[in-house]
Amino acid sequence: MEKKFQYTKIGIPRAISYYNNYPFYYGFFNSLGIEVVLSDKTTTKTINEGTKYVVSDTCLPIKVYVGHVVNLLDKGCDAIFIPSLQSTDYKINNCSKIRGLPEIIRNVIDREFTMIEPTLDKTENIGLYDFCTQTANACGIDDKKQIKTAIENGFEIYNNFFKMTQSGVSYNEALENSINGKFITRSVDIVKPLSVVIMGHGYNLFDERISLNLIKKLEKMDVKVYTSINVSRESSLNAIENLGEIQYWANELELTGTAAHFLLNKKVDGIIALSAFGCGPDSLMVDEIAYHCKERNMPLIHLTIDEHTGEAGFITRIEAFVDMLMRKKRSLISKKSKPAAKPAEIVTLNKEKILTSAVK
Amino acid sequence: MKAAEKLEKTKMENTIPTKDRIIAWPRMGRIDIPLKALLVSLGANVVIPPANSNEALELGVRNSIEGICLPYKLNLANYIMALDKGANTLMMFQAPGSCRLGNYTKMAQKTLKSMGYDFDMVIFDMYKSKMKQTLHAFWHVTHCINPWKYYKGFSLGFNKFFAIDTAERLLFYTRPRELHKGDAERCYEKWLKITDETNSVWKAKGLKKRIIEDFKKIPINKNKEVPVIYLIGEFFVLLDPYTNQNIEKELGEMGVEVQRQIMFGDWLEHVLKPSIFYRKESHRERSVRYSKDYMKRAIGGECIETIGDTVYAAKHGIDGIIHISPFSCMPEIVAQNILPKVSRKEDIPVMSLVLDEQTGKAGYITRIEAFVDLVKRKKRQKKINC
Repeated sequence: MEKKFQYTKIGIPRAISYYNNYPFYYGFFNSLGIEVVLSDKTTTKTINEGTKYVVSDTCLPIKVYVGHVVNLLDKGCDAIFIPSLQSTDYKINNCSKIRGLPEIIRNVIDREFTMIEPTLDKTENIGLYDFCTQTANACGIDDKKQIKTAIENGFEIYNNFFKMTQSGVSYNEALENSINGKFITRSVDIVKPLSVVIMGHGYNLFDERISLNLIKKLEKMDVKVYTSINVSRESSLNAIENLGEIQYWANELELTGTAAHFLLNKKVDGIIALSAFGCGPDSLMVDEIAYHCKERNMPLIHLTIDEHTGEAGFITRIEAFVDMLMRKKRSLISKKSKPAAKPAEIVTLNKEKILTSAVK
Repeated sequence: MKAAEKLEKTKMENTIPTKDRIIAWPRMGRIDIPLKALLVSLGANVVIPPANSNEALELGVRNSIEGICLPYKLNLANYIMALDKGANTLMMFQAPGSCRLGNYTKMAQKTLKSMGYDFDMVIFDMYKSKMKQTLHAFWHVTHCINPWKYYKGFSLGFNKFFAIDTAERLLFYTRPRELHKGDAERCYEKWLKITDETNSVWKAKGLKKRIIEDFKKIPINKNKEVPVIYLIGEFFVLLDPYTNQNIEKELGEMGVEVQRQIMFGDWLEHVLKPSIFYRKESHRERSVRYSKDYMKRAIGGECIETIGDTVYAAKHGIDGIIHISPFSCMPEIVAQNILPKVSRKEDIPVMSLVLDEQTGKAGYITRIEAFVDLVKRKKRQKKINC
């Protein structure tokens, strides 16, 4: 009988689905006895490397993904895990580029390597169990019991990760702790003068190079930042429903769901939308939220990033936005505490102003 | 399941009495002719918005967001123009699971409502159980219960689609070979007019034959050496001559025969006909078969058709491929990434053209000319080598 070759090492690119599902992948592969190799963190070199392979119209996250795959190949990894997440629920699909990631990689990179390309497509009844079985089979493992325990282990780490983030632990801290099997919580909520929510895909937001360290920059300005990992799946689904929208994209929970949750409970002073240039789903989702923000009088800024984004201009825009939020909040507070000025006074004031300017 | 159920519930609220309904739909090429025939025979009043033009595009761009793709901008302009002309019911199909197309109606409804229009939008889903959904949508707008009228309407519509497709195919064949310039174009325009005016099922069935006979009468140079180019890419851009800047005519006048695999009639037949009656291999199935080496799964939109057609063309002696898509179209970007490898492996020249509202015609023509020169040279070279 032919013996199946078993991969003992598998490479996972540090991009796209890594940022949402890595705790699960880690638990799953470790339980199967497969070592996980990660690519290096994104740098400008990664982006340049990726840009070489794909056409110029492709969006930044995909270019970064290709860069990471090249990085893994350079490291000597011969099996790379590239999932195709088609749909996460009935008729709720992902962006075409994420659905076609294995197709892009196969045709763009001309090197010898094995691609482990499971498909998750709930519209066609290919669920998570099938997804995991495909992955395990490709690695040479057929034992059903082993796969089931691996899925359970994966979920254990994944759930721990989300419990931690929902209590207020930052992304990096939670990831590190969940992988090491620890569990920490933040019971004390730090109060800061301003708070904003960032709506953006995990792969844009938590990648320090792509987002140009947006979260840390905001925290330095004394702004409390909420992101998609602070909101549970149920509450963001509810928020979308309460806003009167219908979920269409698979990653809509990260964007519309998160923003809607904070828009409805009025916990934040402003919304920051972070999206890559030319992103199809984002163009619709940000517009949707902008429409509701206008109705509810909530400030929103839309930041677009691509491989040429300059850091200086980026900071200026964030600073201006934060200043605006601060001024708005201050004026609201002063309006509440002081009685409104009489209309007559304002008229005289205006007259004086006009006079002085005319004299000059 | 939840979201889909909700969609079904929201779309069936009847606000306008059936008698007062004036129906309009977005323009794409000449689909207005068959659709008009269908709806009129069901007893509905229709309004046809003006064909896509610079004016329409400007109107669409002004009222839509920056990042959305070109077809939506034109669709929105069509709606606005139709509503201004007195329409109160808008019809549109959608296909969740493809791309941004599934969001068009939702966005358009919101935009038009915020502009102050009052209307009813009837959306029918093209995902599964298509015939049932489509019939239900047409019943909803007309409340017609006479089965003979449905038979007449659908058979008229389908036959007109096939007639237009036949005329188009013959036009592509005749244009580069004609002896007197403009003959084929005139003949095509004439038959479009006749197709539009036909309103009996019996006559509509005979249209195809008559068109073929008439095109045969045009004097052509049969011995002329004509390179054949396949036109592939995104559905709307391919079928709408305004959006693709009439690329078929430009190519025809350069002495190139254009062939297009995506034809509206064929597509509709495949989508609407129940699978028991549809025996031949559909375009999509063929594409999946041919693109096996490059793609293992469909990823939405027309990506797999694009790749499949390219391989098919290379294996059937076609001389070149022009791939057109609107700017930031997600499935076509994936196709664009795959095409260079297909081109290299199958040895066929491929050119990708990206269209948006700022495409300049001069630069566009230069690129096409250069490509046609390349294709012609390659063809001659092949002949010498043989």
